[in-house]
Amino acid sequence: MDVSFIFSVINSAIRSTTPIMMAALGSAICNRAGVFNVALEGQMLIGSFTAIAVNWFTGSVALSILFGIVAGGLIGWLVGVLQVRYKAADMVVGTSINLFVGALTAIMLSILFGVKGSFKNPLLLSLPKIEVPILSKIPYISSLLRNLTILDYLAYVVAIGMFIYLFKTVWGYHLISIGVKKEAAQSMGLHAQRSQITAVMVSGLLCGFGGVVLSMGQVTLFTENMTAGRGFIGMAACNLGRSNPAIIILSSLFFGFCDAFASVAQNSIPSQLTQSIPYIATIVALIFFSREKVKRVKAAKAQ
Amino acid sequence: MSKSRSAKDVWKAAVRILAQPLLAILMGLAVGAVVIFIAGENPLYVYGQMFEKSFFNLYYLMQTLTRSVPITVCSLAIIVAWRAGYINLGVEGQMITGAFVGTVVSIYVPGPAPLVMILAVLAGMVAGAAVSLFSTFIYDKFNVSIVISTLMMNYVAAYITSYFITFPLRDRANDVAIQTAEIPASMRLPRLVEGNTFNWGFVITVGLVILFMFVTRKTNFGYESKMTGLNPVFAQYGGVKSRKVMYTTMALSGALAATAGMLEVFGVKFRFIDAMFTSTSYAWTGLMSGLISSLHPVGSFVMSVFLSGLQVGGQAIQRTTSIPLQVATLIQSAITLFVSVKLFGQFRRARKAAKETPKSKVGDT
Repeated sequence: MDVSFIFSVINSAIRSTTPIMMAALGSAICNRAGVFNVALEGQMLIGSFTAIAVNWFTGSVALSILFGIVAGGLIGWLVGVLQVRYKAADMVVGTSINLFVGALTAIMLSILFGVKGSFKNPLLLSLPKIEVPILSKIPYISSLLRNLTILDYLAYVVAIGMFIYLFKTVWGYHLISIGVKKEAAQSMGLHAQRSQITAVMVSGLLCGFGGVVLSMGQVTLFTENMTAGRGFIGMAACNLGRSNPAIIILSSLFFGFCDAFASVAQNSIPSQLTQSIPYIATIVALIFFSREKVKRVKAAKAQ
Repeated sequence: MSKSRSAKDVWKAAVRILAQPLLAILMGLAVGAVVIFIAGENPLYVYGQMFEKSFFNLYYLMQTLTRSVPITVCSLAIIVAWRAGYINLGVEGQMITGAFVGTVVSIYVPGPAPLVMILAVLAGMVAGAAVSLFSTFIYDKFNVSIVISTLMMNYVAAYITSYFITFPLRDRANDVAIQTAEIPASMRLPRLVEGNTFNWGFVITVGLVILFMFVTRKTNFGYESKMTGLNPVFAQYGGVKSRKVMYTTMALSGALAATAGMLEVFGVKFRFIDAMFTSTSYAWTGLMSGLISSLHPVGSFVMSVFLSGLQVGGQAIQRTTSIPLQVATLIQSAITLFVSVKLFGQFRRARKAAKETPKSKVGDT
């Protein structure tokens, strides 16, 4: 196996990582704020769809990105209001929002484009690929960074930004304290409810971002339920990353790599089997890493 | 004041229980109407067509009842797990696995038909239970979230069965459809009406609902699993062996999911077809009917028939108007959202707040 092949697989892994990482970051901010958000899938899917719809009708990449993110944020806001203000059960809201968005996008696909299943057109614009000035001249590094879009780079900025926000600023500490003990934070004069709703809305914005990358990054099209469990894989990535943005970068890269591996393996194994790889990898990773956690808890108890 | 429950009290109780879901259904239909209006069709006409071609026509009514079979049994699978506090999102995968194993056994195992059929059903139920028990086991041992692992298993089950029926077990008689061979005629559930798919599966379903009521209300297991769902710590304190309850509950949930899938195979399709359960989303519809009815088996049965009707009506309007079938899913999920919020139960909640019970995960939604 030659080196350039390995680099192209890593390149593909980086590109598959972005949507998962955004979902994982969305999950992390909700967890930190003490809200269990299962609607990541729906928040992503609405972002993917809105981006393609705006793309088609305005022909502007910037507007597609903007509206995709905002659409995710709107769904996130709805989830936040239902769960935090109206105390609706998280699992019920999450699963019904996911199904609702799945149906809504399928219907809109039919209303706006008159097609079923998926919409693809050569006139749709994809996210512009970025050439990093000096790095793109170095032989191997260039193949590593080939075809990356601006959002792929931005994702890491967001992750680091969230890390700084959560652990290095006073607002981050406030949010975490709300997540740890809502009543105590409230008695300190923090607006717990408002912060929680905002956190869920931010998770919607992040998932919308991930959705835009999904429908305008590697491919430029919209397919019904194209998120295919990525919201839940994002939850798993967040779980492995202990809701810490810095570790989430790594855990998301792992899942991105599984995606890339699955598409490479397709050349030698039937696609029905390779497509199940990311989902099996998610379960295996959770078993492998959670095992450590249980051990540590047991060790702590034994002492 | 008299202490016996008068007819008026019963009436009041019925109104209190039913007002919530009925209002939510109306609101859900209103959401659907808005979308239909945006699509440029007349909501009243579309709804008229939808209900005519699902409930008010004998042929379509039987279609609705046939479709309600897997949905109802899936909702039972959801209810048994969720009421005990275990969020099984993998009913679809358990259903696929169970139906696949059941089909394969019934086609390939030699022997007298009744014996093979019993073996097939048992094998299918064991397979469905095995899938849910796997998630339970890794939750118990490694603390892996049941929500995530059961959901992931849906995709794994769908892709792996798809592999088997695309390659080794494919029916070569048909080049286009990806499916297994047909199960022997002697193992099919008899039709209730000639010329319609309405079959004995419906009778079995009604039986299962009644049995389910009995098990959840009158047995120790039913009581213990409910206690675990309401408050795990309290249940353990009261002597409930929560691990045993957890494994039993999840095994039962997986076996019921498998039964739902097998009823569709043995009663309607007579073979395993690629994507037969994912494209119809029986499991998710069952989930919604369970949630709308607050995890009540009989309520969920009624709701399953209603949601099944929405889908059958949805198929009809897809043929005659520009509205796609998914409008049914849209209405269903909107209803579930409205139920979850209890928008209309505000005053009740205020009254209940005084004697606040421990917050359950899903039990009281």
